Amino acid sequence: MDHNQAFFLGNIRTALGEAPHSERVKSMFPKLFASPDTTEIRQKIAGRTVAEQDELVEIFLKNGNSLNICSHIVASSDAAAAVVVELIRSKEPEFNHTKHVIGHDHPDIAALQLWKRFNREAVTVHTAFNSDRQVQEKTIASFIGITAPTIGVADSATLIQLTEPGRPRSTSLLPSIHIAIMRREHIVADLQEAYTLLRGRAHLDSLVFISGPSKTADIEAHMVHGAHGPREVHLIILAEPSAAGSDAATTEAA
Amino acid sequence: MNDYSKEAQKALASPRLQASLHTLQDRFGKGAMALWANMEDQEMRRRVKKSRLKNLEHLDILLAELARNVRARGGKVYFAETAQDAIDYTLKVARDNKVKRVVKGKSMISMEIGIDPALEEDGIEVVETDLGEYIIQLAGDKPSHIIAPCIHMDRKQIGQLFAEKLGMDYTDDPPTLTMAARKELREKLLSADMGLTGCNLACAETGHISLVSNEGNIRMATTMPPVHVALMGMERIVATLEEHRETVQLLTRGAALQKLSTYVSFTGGPSSADDPDGPKEFHLVIIDNGRAKILADPEFREVLACIRCGACLNICPVYGRIGGHAYNSSYCGPIGAVITPLLDGINKHADLCKGETLCGACKDICPVQIDLPRMLAALRQKLAYASDRWDTRQHNPAEAYGFTIWRLIITRKPLYRSLLKIGRLFQRVFIKKNNMISSMAGIASGWTDGRDLPPIAKKTFTELWEEKYRNRQAAAAPETEENQ
Amino acid sequence: MSGKTVSLFIQCLVDTMFPETGEAMITVFDKLGIPYDYPTGQTCCGQPAFNSGYTRDAAAAARHFIDLFEDTEVIVCPSGSCVHMVRHHYPELFTDDPAMHSRALAIGAKTFEFTQYLVDELNITDVGAEYVGAVTYHDSCHLSRGLGIAAQPRVLLRNIRGLELIEMKDSDTCCGFGGTFSVNYPEISVAMADEKIDNILATGAGTVTGCDISCLMNILGRISRRQKDVKVRHIAQLLAGPTGGKA
Ligand code: SF4
Repeated sequence: MDHNQAFFLGNIRTALGEAPHSERVKSMFPKLFASPDTTEIRQKIAGRTVAEQDELVEIFLKNGNSLNICSHIVASSDAAAAVVVELIRSKEPEFNHTKHVIGHDHPDIAALQLWKRFNREAVTVHTAFNSDRQVQEKTIASFIGITAPTIGVADSATLIQLTEPGRPRSTSLLPSIHIAIMRREHIVADLQEAYTLLRGRAHLDSLVFISGPSKTADIEAHMVHGAHGPREVHLIILAEPSAAGSDAATTEAA
Repeated sequence: MNDYSKEAQKALASPRLQASLHTLQDRFGKGAMALWANMEDQEMRRRVKKSRLKNLEHLDILLAELARNVRARGGKVYFAETAQDAIDYTLKVARDNKVKRVVKGKSMISMEIGIDPALEEDGIEVVETDLGEYIIQLAGDKPSHIIAPCIHMDRKQIGQLFAEKLGMDYTDDPPTLTMAARKELREKLLSADMGLTGCNLACAETGHISLVSNEGNIRMATTMPPVHVALMGMERIVATLEEHRETVQLLTRGAALQKLSTYVSFTGGPSSADDPDGPKEFHLVIIDNGRAKILADPEFREVLACIRCGACLNICPVYGRIGGHAYNSSYCGPIGAVITPLLDGINKHADLCKGETLCGACKDICPVQIDLPRMLAALRQKLAYASDRWDTRQHNPAEAYGFTIWRLIITRKPLYRSLLKIGRLFQRVFIKKNNMISSMAGIASGWTDGRDLPPIAKKTFTELWEEKYRNRQAAAAPETEENQ
Repeated sequence: MSGKTVSLFIQCLVDTMFPETGEAMITVFDKLGIPYDYPTGQTCCGQPAFNSGYTRDAAAAARHFIDLFEDTEVIVCPSGSCVHMVRHHYPELFTDDPAMHSRALAIGAKTFEFTQYLVDELNITDVGAEYVGAVTYHDSCHLSRGLGIAAQPRVLLRNIRGLELIEMKDSDTCCGFGGTFSVNYPEISVAMADEKIDNILATGAGTVTGCDISCLMNILGRISRRQKDVKVRHIAQLLAGPTGGKA
């Protein structure tokens, strides 16, 4: 602890009527950092049936819709790839003339096999590999960024993106269009459930909650999408067919 | 006339500002009240308030824990007792890194400590990146709302400003204007050497600061430049993620009726070799600048529970008429009226302490139910009787004298009654045909310049009581009924 | 019905400028057979001093009030802000004086605003009054926010024969009075009053009413200056029927 810190915290202790020089340590105040028992919440998340998950998907879609998130439900990686390919083909780059796309290093994104789908077109697909020093340049050049968020929150239509090697922050930020691919079973009901799952991941340097495209209402409270971040957010929900519309739900997915 | 009233008059004379303040309050003020009324979990606000107060009582422990966790990730933490300390440290970081351009995320504490001029003096370009703040910066103006800084400007003014400063064709179309700023600022964001942000809420147990934004500028400013400096008011901290969850939701609901803002980003250190996307250096500057003094006074400690959502501005009938500039502070509205005098001098900001009606709307809307009216009254008390603790002189000796006389009168019934009679005689020259007084001299003209005043009645209630009711009341109630 | 004798706590502004409001209250109590008395030593509850920060001077007023009203059964006042002062701020004034503090608490517990007393304490929602015309109601701040009184006056108003209650926009937004605020910052105060009056006019009601003379005086003063044709009446005057107070 540096001198500044000691002095600063001493001032606080004085203000609180404590002795300035007697450092108060965390272990003396166990209740201060106590968190509620989350076993029940974890069990609830783990025990969700496919039908219940589909309900959450519904809620996410509804809430996402009012936040301008375009959602697509697909049954397979191939179908997901079709959506992505169509978006890459139909959308025009905003800041560049060539079509570059960057995706996180994630199995669900790799499964799209994008690199082999643009043989005859001028589309460059990058993967944000671990330790790549050029990753920011590639991201700046890309008009579409593809990520696979770890958690989706139905109640607030939020995508939770953890920053990890191969999954950098700017993929969901710099490109004009953000495509998120998420498995149905990664959607939880609300922030309480989401925070419960986050507890184990909190050592990360950075993480972000994303609820819709970038927006601003600074000019006469007029809502405009695409202030600094992506102006479009597309969510592709991967729902494996076993449960599509059936009530023979298994809990395997959980 | 004092500056507060002068600025207020300017605001009142602007129909445009009045219209935007109306729209703002009708939407966000009422919206927040409706949100609170319909919230399923009616205990949430009380719970968060309680945890805010508890955390203030253990602030030393929380800050030490936050610092420890940030340092463990390779971030630097600096404790700044004064604004100058924070400026000096930030300048040193900037110099060490040969910074030429700083991009800012909207931060009120940066304005509180006055860091922009200090950086600029050092030859560093400072760019605000929040659209509203950017517009304000281009115009050389000051923000007038915590969340909507350029609420006092309309699209035409902004269009002209952009045409002039950005060399584009004039338009007043908000999407076109926004896109122009998007392009302009993207350049700046991608080429800046340092990102400078505030901190909405730090989490001690995980060692993160969290920042909320809708635009994404803050994410850019904390990701793209090689250095990120976050300035944090020392009270903006929660102990646990669990507390964060509830507090941040109250913040975004109070601020803009959102369940969450578009982005809530958590940052707790620099990027690493295997994940090079992000700043190489992360500095957290924890700032006191007068807060410990507030913490020490039980009368005012509660104000440090504020989460700066700005909701109180959206309902305050005074702010709703005069806008933000009259407060002449980085913090305006009801919260500004309390925190500004405490941070920057009660005498200096006496008009902020006195210029409200104590109607209580701010306390009702506040997500953490901060009793601002109580503290305004307490500030007035310091002005009334002076205070060593707050280094405050008696503000208005004449007024104080007036209240001493008032006290003598109202505690002596015969004197009070005789004075009323004298007043009744004296007022006769002022009474107009409509049986109203419409002009008076001295401070009383404050009333009659814009309003009429009913005169003292020919007979006061007390006189009527003696004449008509006292004896009648001696009779039994049922008889009274028959009399009707 | 409670057989308690009501001690009338007549706000200084009612006493000196609006005595008809006090008389109207008496008319209502007479009609209902409620016994009352009037401690004539009363002056001012101390609110102006308190709101301006002069707590010691306000405490002197509080002592005077407490001495005078201590032996009463129940205290009823036609002003929400005065009741709020007695109930909520008197105890605060004596936090360093346990004896006075408990006296203040005891006084506060038996002090009621007029409509609150009728509706909550006596369960009276219809006083058998008549007032023909459209009326709009202003929620005074200390009454509605401080004491939580908003439903009581409305139920009483709705039960007045011939009266049509029309709600105004933002009825619970401050009228801009604020005690000394109104003379120290007249331009802001008047702007707030104008907003209130515009909302009153928009209802088309011929009468505006409320439970606090301070606000009503502010509204009346500005309406008179703007020469608008809207009557300003304390709720007691409406409850006293067509004969309650001067027209
Ligand atoms: S005082 Fe309350 S309402 Fe005002 S900014 Fe702070 S938290 Fe928000």
